[in-house]
Amino acid sequence: MTMTRPMSLAESLNEALGELMEDDPSVVLIGQDIGRLGGVFRVTKGLLNRFGAGRVRDAILAESSIVGQAIGMALSGLKPVCEIQFDGFVYLAMNQIVTQAARMTTRWNDQIALNLVVRVPVGGGIRAVEHHSESNEALFAHIPGLHVAYPSCPADAAAMLKYSCALGSPVIFFEPKRLYWNRKQQPRLGSESDSPVGARIVRRGSDVTVVGFGALLEEVLMAADRLADRVDADVIDLRWIAPMDTDTVLESVARTGRLLVVHEAVKFGGIGAEVVATVAERCGHRLKAPPRRLAPPRQVYPPADYEDDYLIDVADIVSAIEEMCG
Amino acid sequence: MAEPTRPSDGMHPLDVMAPIDAETRRTMLRYMLVARAIDDEASLLQNQGALDLWLPCRGQEAAQVGSATAIGDEAVIFPSYREHAVAVQRGIDGVSLVAQWAGRTFCGWDPHRHRFFPYTLVLATQALHGVGYAIGRRLQNMPETVVIYIGDGATSEGDMSEAMNLAAVESAAVLFICQNNGWAISKPSHEQMATSIAERANGFGLRSWSIAADDPDDTYLACLAARRYVEAEQAPALIELRATRVRGHTTSDPHRTYRDPNELAVAQTYDPVAAYREKLYAAGVVDEQWLDAVEAQAGVARRQLLEAFAK
Repeated sequence: MTMTRPMSLAESLNEALGELMEDDPSVVLIGQDIGRLGGVFRVTKGLLNRFGAGRVRDAILAESSIVGQAIGMALSGLKPVCEIQFDGFVYLAMNQIVTQAARMTTRWNDQIALNLVVRVPVGGGIRAVEHHSESNEALFAHIPGLHVAYPSCPADAAAMLKYSCALGSPVIFFEPKRLYWNRKQQPRLGSESDSPVGARIVRRGSDVTVVGFGALLEEVLMAADRLADRVDADVIDLRWIAPMDTDTVLESVARTGRLLVVHEAVKFGGIGAEVVATVAERCGHRLKAPPRRLAPPRQVYPPADYEDDYLIDVADIVSAIEEMCG
Repeated sequence: MAEPTRPSDGMHPLDVMAPIDAETRRTMLRYMLVARAIDDEASLLQNQGALDLWLPCRGQEAAQVGSATAIGDEAVIFPSYREHAVAVQRGIDGVSLVAQWAGRTFCGWDPHRHRFFPYTLVLATQALHGVGYAIGRRLQNMPETVVIYIGDGATSEGDMSEAMNLAAVESAAVLFICQNNGWAISKPSHEQMATSIAERANGFGLRSWSIAADDPDDTYLACLAARRYVEAEQAPALIELRATRVRGHTTSDPHRTYRDPNELAVAQTYDPVAAYREKLYAAGVVDEQWLDAVEAQAGVARRQLLEAFAK
């Protein structure tokens, strides 16, 4: 018997896209360099040959065009899945996403479904140039009408992508770049979430609730393991930034009495603030220690030589948990 | 009947210069009169505080009714937000049309039933939706002609350039109808662009024309030629309809503060609805009895608005 090599995020998404297209002829892909090249991260590799240029559409180099035309395609009955090449370029499509996609079903008095996924490679740690290492999920989480997906591992990313594709409501789908070709993964609880949009407890513990999402969840799990003989951490993978499954977080905090939220985007006005505020409002009386956020300061993402200092690492998370539980 | 204005390139392969039948012309006048009644009544209602805002289309009725008649009932229309006469022609009643300006909804009609999509207030975004829609229908082997209405000011938005480029590259069956009323709120068109909209469209690879849309007959024929081009060639085109803005950008826009008094005085004498009414009456296409019947219909539209919105 041969061991199957674990899939990377890029491979898992590639397989999921292929299956989606196989199962549903209304699924089309639009993005820069996704056809002949297979995408700069090769997530769409081979799909042009399998499904043809009609369904794997190399886009004009204009992000507003990509999302704007996809909205029209969705209105015409298709299920477009867009690829924005890098997080820092999604701003060019921001108007179409915020003023159009997010509001379209409301504007139509809920008479339409708008199946639309905008895939966005996200985050740093890959020594990329300016605008290629951004974490901008909070901007989208703030917009009513958008779902914001932020998977943390290949298998879940595939399941979330399939769910997103036929949701009937636009999804900003963040793909952590650090995971695209990473095959190592910290062991996780096999627990399935009750809801496809629910958060998931990936490690059971009783001393502190640590909430994370995306690539950084790996560091969170490593930190939890490193502290295992002293601190028993409950680790939650949020999976969906919006709408957010706060119930799972509240239930955990009710058990542990401590909350740490970790993310790669800047702390100010970030997702951590939302989680902490919700916990403070709804189960503040159960807290044994002040809730805490661990995230970078409100600074421009630095040049690659400095990104290791900027990013949250395992040691940072270990220290924060130790301080909270000390 | 006036000699129709030919498309500016004068090389159109399709002969649409046949005379327009009397019934079509009566229908156009009827829509103009009903649209005028709704437009006037809505402006009055806003003045009384019964509507939050209204965007008058006065002076653009020939552009709207002529183009809408050329489009017919089949093409899907992606409007901007001032195409009230086009909406009326698509069977949307005054109450449904006005509802969003009274804060009751974002879209008062069923966009699918009327094949007239919701008004879009962030300029030019709908241009990309329209192109994507045309590509999407073609991909599903159910091609449809798409018509995108846009104003002159909106053509300055990046999305308009992206939409024209995309339509050209994809050879999408899209007709852009640009109503140029000379103003983007307070900024005149000549300060908005150094070339004409039609020239710019041409630069992107679209067939384009520019006509004075003072008369629905001329507008109809030019737009019919444009539509037939789009359908025959399965390629995009743009027709610029030069119109006149008689009132403010909206009912809240004090346009006297920035318009030259002489220019405004001339604009305010401009009335394509009255002109067409006189033209058809003089030609014997309509008579008193017909006009009375249509005025009664317009009166009903006004009363319905009063009943629905007057406080």
